[in-house]
This record gives sequence, structure tokens and C-alpha cells, in this order.
Amino acid sequence: MAIVEFKDVSRVYTSGDHELRALDGVNMTLEEGKFIVILGPSGAGKSTLLNLLGGLDSPTSGKIIVEGKDISTLSNDELAEYRAAKVGFVFQFYNLVPTLTVHENVALVKEIAPRSLSATKMIEEVGLADHLKNFPSELSGGEQQRVSIARALAKNPEILLCDEPTGALDSQTGVLVLKLLLKMARDYGKTIVIVTHNQNIAKMADVVMHVKNGKIVSVTEQENPSSADEIDW
Amino acid sequence: MLFKKLWRTMGLYRAQFISMIIMIALGVGIFVGFNMEWVSIDKNTFAFYKETGFADYRITSEKGFSVDEIEKIESIDGVEKASRYLSVNADVKEKNGDAVALTVTENADVSGVKIISGEKYDSKSTDGVWLSDKYAKANGFKVGDTVTLKYKNLEIKCVIKGLVKSSEYLICVRDSSQLMPDYKTFGFAYISPALYKKVAGTDFYPQINVISDLDKKDFTEKADKALGKTELILTKDEVGSYSLARGEAEEGQTMGSVLPVLFLLIAVLTMVTTMHRLTAKEKTQIGTLKALGFKDRRILRHYTSYAFMIGIVGSVIGIALGYGVAYIIMNPNGMMGTYFDMQKWVLYLPGFCVVTVILIVALLTFIGFLSVKQMLKGTAADALRPYTPKKMKPLVIERTKTFHKLSFGSRWNLRDIMRHKSRTAMSLVGIVGCMILVVGSLGMSDTMNAFLDMYYDGALRYNTRIYLAEDTTPEQRDEIAEKYNGDTGASLGVQIDDKTVSLDIYSLKNNMVRFPSDKKGYVKLGDDGAYICMRLADEFDLNVGDTFKVSPYGTDKEYTLKLAGIIRSTSECVVITDDYAEKLDISFIPDSVYTNTEKEDILSDSAVKTAQSKKAIMDSFDTFLELMNSMVIILVGGALVLGIVVLYNLGVMSYTERYREMATLKVVGFKDGKIGRLLIGQNIWLSVVGVVLGLPLGVLTLDFLLKKLAPEYEMRMYIGPVTYIVSILLTFGVSLLVSLMVSRKNKKIDMVEALKGAE
Repeated sequence: MAIVEFKDVSRVYTSGDHELRALDGVNMTLEEGKFIVILGPSGAGKSTLLNLLGGLDSPTSGKIIVEGKDISTLSNDELAEYRAAKVGFVFQFYNLVPTLTVHENVALVKEIAPRSLSATKMIEEVGLADHLKNFPSELSGGEQQRVSIARALAKNPEILLCDEPTGALDSQTGVLVLKLLLKMARDYGKTIVIVTHNQNIAKMADVVMHVKNGKIVSVTEQENPSSADEIDW
Repeated sequence: MLFKKLWRTMGLYRAQFISMIIMIALGVGIFVGFNMEWVSIDKNTFAFYKETGFADYRITSEKGFSVDEIEKIESIDGVEKASRYLSVNADVKEKNGDAVALTVTENADVSGVKIISGEKYDSKSTDGVWLSDKYAKANGFKVGDTVTLKYKNLEIKCVIKGLVKSSEYLICVRDSSQLMPDYKTFGFAYISPALYKKVAGTDFYPQINVISDLDKKDFTEKADKALGKTELILTKDEVGSYSLARGEAEEGQTMGSVLPVLFLLIAVLTMVTTMHRLTAKEKTQIGTLKALGFKDRRILRHYTSYAFMIGIVGSVIGIALGYGVAYIIMNPNGMMGTYFDMQKWVLYLPGFCVVTVILIVALLTFIGFLSVKQMLKGTAADALRPYTPKKMKPLVIERTKTFHKLSFGSRWNLRDIMRHKSRTAMSLVGIVGCMILVVGSLGMSDTMNAFLDMYYDGALRYNTRIYLAEDTTPEQRDEIAEKYNGDTGASLGVQIDDKTVSLDIYSLKNNMVRFPSDKKGYVKLGDDGAYICMRLADEFDLNVGDTFKVSPYGTDKEYTLKLAGIIRSTSECVVITDDYAEKLDISFIPDSVYTNTEKEDILSDSAVKTAQSKKAIMDSFDTFLELMNSMVIILVGGALVLGIVVLYNLGVMSYTERYREMATLKVVGFKDGKIGRLLIGQNIWLSVVGVVLGLPLGVLTLDFLLKKLAPEYEMRMYIGPVTYIVSILLTFGVSLLVSLMVSRKNKKIDMVEALKGAE
């Protein structure tokens, strides 16, 4: 079943008399429960795609339908509600609130997400039960990203959106984080979309999309994706 | 959860938060303090005036008023109460050299007393005196003691029945040459009409005091009609205990509106820059919250509450500080306590202060709101991007050749100054404000000292002023003047238009009195013109060469005087020589002899009413100077706090903003010291500009304050070279100190951390 549908979606940035078409008439469908990787060189429009999907941005034209509902015309507040209820984010630079502890960073979503899960439980699942009271700056990069994953899943969203989740990590830590991310997504039955320029991650995906110059140039379905351990990092 | 974030973020930016709280507290504190002062003076003194029946009008006649006449005044429609009244300066026999204002009022409800201890006032008592409690305390008199009061050849021996206060002597000074009360040498005493009649044998009262709501014109007409003749009528505005108190309240009003504006302005400007920096720095966090699904409203509320919190905490501390300031001024031993003879002060927080403080908090909150609003603009994706400062455009001066000849540091700093205009402007405001306060307060002290030198050392060259008795003969007067080798003088009440001023006639053979000129030095009195004080010259718009008319009280005579010069004087007066008086046909009957003989050596004589030493006048100034010095210390302290707080706050901000730049410089190979010098260099340039701007502004402020606060002293502004040097050094010192404090942080720059992560 399709959880997300993009219908002729364009996003144009104008600065002064300069016009940049970050996305140019994109049509795509994402199936529920799948692991989707969006690949492309920098500046191809990957992040814009993710931003639109996550309700961080609205398209200049076209329709984005999530679970049968068009989110392209939502107001700011409705978008906030959409983000709170439907999507979990994992960013390259973790984006934790530095003045809140690990537990508080995850528990924060309780205030906005209607179906949130226990913060302590999520932190235990990402293996940071001993660091509940620590501040983000006291953790390593990999640990911070795990907190970020716990926070994204604690909302109990439909879709997990990840923007270069391993981009700031060394490869060993990256693999561990990725494995955790996938395991958690599968355990909780979430659709997961990762945006990256790392070809190796793509090998693990159910669906790989290639983005170039604001367009989707190919969509490949992989019958037997590799597991993280099989890949030569 | 966000609430926890609020507290931790405050901890993170504590330098900024604390400095803003200090600024707001100072601004609100000074605002509330001075406004409380004048409102409390108004309310307290009015209550006291009412309690002791302060008179609205005083009708005086040298011939005295009869019982018949007081009845006529009492029966005027609109007159509430009236009383025949006498107040003369009498010597205290037990305390050689002391005097008290000996007072008799027939109706104790008018110009009466408030009992502090002892018996209640008894108008039938034939042996009692009710003495000023402060005078009694200063001279060791107790209830039950006996005092002997000497007035002319009367000796009144009486028992102290009670210690009292009276609004008629709210500011208890002998005459207008004495600025501050000195209870050691001068107080007041009330005796009953019964005792007065018994000792004097008559009931001579040269004054009628009236409580009435009528306006002056109305009252004068009705009183003249009732008495069938024109008498001199003084309104309460012409009585020191009323006008000086009002003047004091007005001063508080000026202080309460001029000074706090500076602090509050700086507080608001600091808020604008700090909230902008804070939200700019927190922009990615704002983006994160937004991405998580927090609504704009929620985020706005969160960040706005920072500003609100600062406003509230600052205002609460400020109001507490205000109470403190007001208490320091108004407590019984404080500035006002020694000036006004009040039993107690009740402090009032005026309603408009509360309103203003609420408005300030609202304004601060609004500033916070606007800064976050700015960062929330656009989509969540926009908000997630870190704040990027405005693009750098080449400066106009960069096109000149000289710019490229400047060192790297100067160019870097110039660009930085141009790029962060508001921060630069704020630093300048801080330095200029600091400079204004230091120059103004030290200049005030210089001016005051110069004023004392000029007036009391230069103008009053005698040691003792002998007051002659009213009934002396010309021969007696000449004899006294000759015996003590003195100069003579007389004061006459005259009117210019409707204004009552004093016409002072002097016969100065020995130059015992000199008159400071409105310009420099002293005026040599000539025999073909009159000299008037600056205030009167201003009020009647008179220039040298103009003529003006004066008319002695209660007469239809009018004299035309030619203005020969303008002088500085503490009383509103017209001064002429005896020769000019003769030419004009004004009779000169001396009432005082000015001599170099010490007071102790003046022999008792029926022609001598009393004598006053210049030292007594000078002594009354000591407290005044002490109070002023503490004021100067408070203001200079405030200036330094202001300077340090504003500059430190901006310094830290500049440091965090340029963290990445400095980290890069460090990576390239700049040493910590070199980077530190770059930062200090910028501060020094700003300080130079600030000092250059602040100096003239400080002088202008002082000039304004002198005109506004103390017009009655007609002081000439004087700022000594030491003041200039100290002001400049202090301001530079503050700037340098702060630079050092900030540049010490350089060593902590973590190059890797700072360069990691995308911008």
C-alpha cells in the first residue's frame, strides 16, 4: 500500500533575480513498511525531497499525499501537527537540544506527539540506559545519533526520515548506528527513508531512488537486499 | 521539558542575562527611587502641613495687628482659620551664640506644633516653652529644663514643657544665607500668647497667618477690603519651608526623569542586541524544535519567556533597589531627614511608576518576541539552517588607498565594526553614558566647591554680621559700625511687578561684602546703577542699561532703577550702594553691620540685636557637602557598573560571534596574544570615539542639571582639569579592563570544535 505519493512536485528557490529549481516535477510513490534510500550527488535535490516529505517545507507546485491526505497545502500549525504525529527525523548533526539531558531530549516529544512511547524504554533500546542523565556534549557522536534515533522513534511516527544519518560518524560507528536504525524500524514496523550519497547504504535498501538535477532518474526495487554485515565498508 | 531548557539556557548565557538584569534593575531602581522620593516628599509634607496648620497666607505689618483686625480677617468668606502670629530670632542665654526662632501663635490650629514628647501645648501656660526636639537633642535640653530666651531687652525664663516639630520650621534656617539647618546653633521655640503678654506687657503681633483656599488675587482683595488698607501679603510659595520643600520635590522629579532614561535606554538597547544574538545562536535549536513538530506559537512562547523573565526579575530587583534608594534619601538620618524636620517618612510607590515598570516589562517581552519571530520566519527547513549574518559588502572606505595600507588588524576590526553596527552603537552608548555620568558627577562636585570658595571665601569677607535692633538711632548705628570697623547694610522688601524681592543697600567702605559677577570675578559696585541677581534678570528679561521699577511694600512710591550689572546671589535680590539710594531718594537705615571682629568679641549693647558668625554659615554646609559627596560616589559607581556591564556583555557577544573567525586565525597560526590585541584594539578605538563624544555631552548634561536642580544658587559651572583627566582615565580603564576580561577567553578556543560542522 502506498503511504506517500508525490504528484508533479516542484520546489523553486528564488533569491533576487536568481531562480533555483531544486525539484522539478517529481512523481513518486513510497510503499508502507519499506526501507527506501534516496541517492544522489550533493545539490541534486535530495534534502529538498526529504524536507518536503517531512513537512519542513512546502512545494512551489504539485501535491504530496501522505496516507491519503494532501500535506502540500497545510498551514504552518497543521504542518507542525503533521510532523509531531507522523514523522521522526534523524539529522546528520543529531540536532539535540544541548541544554537538555539525554532523557529529557527524548521525553520532549511527549509534549507534542499524541501516541508517544516511553522515553526510558526507547533509550534502553538504543543501549544508552546508563547515560540517561548525561548532556549531549558528554556523549560521543555515535551515542548522540542513537539518542536522536530514540527521539525519532519515541514519537511513534509512521515514517522515519534520515538525512545522512552516518555522515558525521566514522565508518565503524556508522555501521552500528545504521544497524540499530534498521532493526528498530523493522521491529516497530516503520517506513524508513534515508537520504545519502553513500552507495553502500543503498545496497541494504528495498527500494533505491536516484536523484539528479531535481528529478528522479531511476527507481530500483531490490528483491534481496544485503544485510549490513555483508557489505564491505 | 522546555521549562528546564529555559533555566539551563539562562545559565549558559548568564553573562548576558545577568548584565541585562543589572541594567534593568539599575534603570528601574533609579526611576522608582527618585520618583518615590518626590512623591513621598509631597505626600508626607502635605500631611504634616495639614496636621500642624501651615498657613497659606501671611499678612504682615510693622505696626502690628489688633484683635479687631484679626476678627475682620477671620470673618472673610473663604478664610478657614486665622491667627495673630509672631516669630523673632531670640538668643538662648544658656548656650552662648545659639538662637531660636521664638514663636507665638494665638490660635494653635494655625502654624501650630506637633508634640513629640512632653506635655500638650497649652495656650494659657505662663511659664512654659515648647522647644524644637532636634534643637533640644543637639544641645542636651530635656523636658523640665529651664531655658532663658533673650530678645532685645526682654528676658524670658521658662520651663521646657514639651519637645515639638512644626511645619512652619520644616526647613529650619536662620535666613536665606544658610542653606542647611544646623540644630546645634539654631532651632525654634513656641511660647504661649499668655506668657508673651505677661513678659512683653503688650500683645504686639506683626503678622496674621491664614489658612484659606482662596487664590492670591481674591484673598488680597478681600483682606485689603477687610483691613481697609494695603498690607504685604506673602503666599506660601514665598516661604522657605514650603518653596524649598517643593523645590526638593521638583529636583527629585528631574532626577527621576533624566537619569533613569539613560539606564533604561541602554537596558532596552542591550535587550534588542542580546535577544537577537541569543535567538540567532539558538536558530538551529529553534529549527530542531520546529522539525520535531512544535508549533510556532509554542516556540515563540518559550523564547519570549526569556525576555519576560529578565524583565520581571530586573524590575523586581529594581523596585527593591528603588525602595533602598528612597530609604537612603528619606530616612530620618538621610539626606532629606537632615534637611526636613519630619518625625517620620512614609514611602509611597507612585502609581505611574508601577504602570511604567509594567510597560517596560511589556516592551522587553515584545523585543524578545520580535527577535524569535524573525528566526521562525519561513519553513521549518529554513529555520533548521544556521543563522547567517548579512552578506559582507565592501565598505566605501575600502575603495581608498589608505585602507589597504592599514594593518590586517585594523582592516579586520573596521569591517567587523561596520558589519555589526548595532553592537558598535551599543558599545558607544555604554562608553558615552559612562563618560557623561563621571564628568557630570565629578563636575558637580567641582562646581559646588568652586561655588563655596567664590561665595563664602570671596564674597563674604567679614567674620561676623551684627543685626542691629529696630529702634536704634543713627548715632548708635554709626558708633557700632565705627567701633568694629565695619560696613553697613540694609534690606528692604520691594516689589517688581507682583514679585516680592529684597532690595539690599550697602555702604561698603571696607569691602566686607563682594558680589560675584555673572561672568568672571567680582563686580565693583558703582554709584549710578543697580545690580540684580541672574534669576531676576532672566525672569524680567533685563540687560545692562535697561531700567526697571521697584516699589517698597505697602507704599505707593515707585523708584526707577538703571541696571548696571548682573550678579550671582543665593537670594533673589536687587543690590545698590548707599550713594545710589540717596540719589534715588530711598532712605538708608542700616539693619546690619559686617565686621572682621569675631562674634565672641562683640560686646552686648542695646543697639545689637544679635550677631551671626560666618563660621556658623559655613558649618551648615558641611553636611550638605557630605551628602553631595556620597551622591557623587553613588553616581560614579553607577557609571562604572554601567560601563562594565554593557561592554562586558557586548564583548562576550562579539567573542562568540567571532569564535569561528578567531578559531580560523588560530589554525592559521596566530598566537593567543595577537588575537587578544586585535580584540582590544577595536575596544580602544571605540573608547576613543566614545570619550570624544561623551566629554561634551557630559558638560552639557551638567549644565542642564545645574540649571534644573539648583537654579537658586546661581552657580557657575566649573570642571577642573583633574575631573577631565580622571573621567578619561576611568572610562578608558573600564574599557581596557573589560577587554582583558574578554580576551582571556581566547585561550579556550577549541579549533577543532569550532571548525567542525557546516555553516
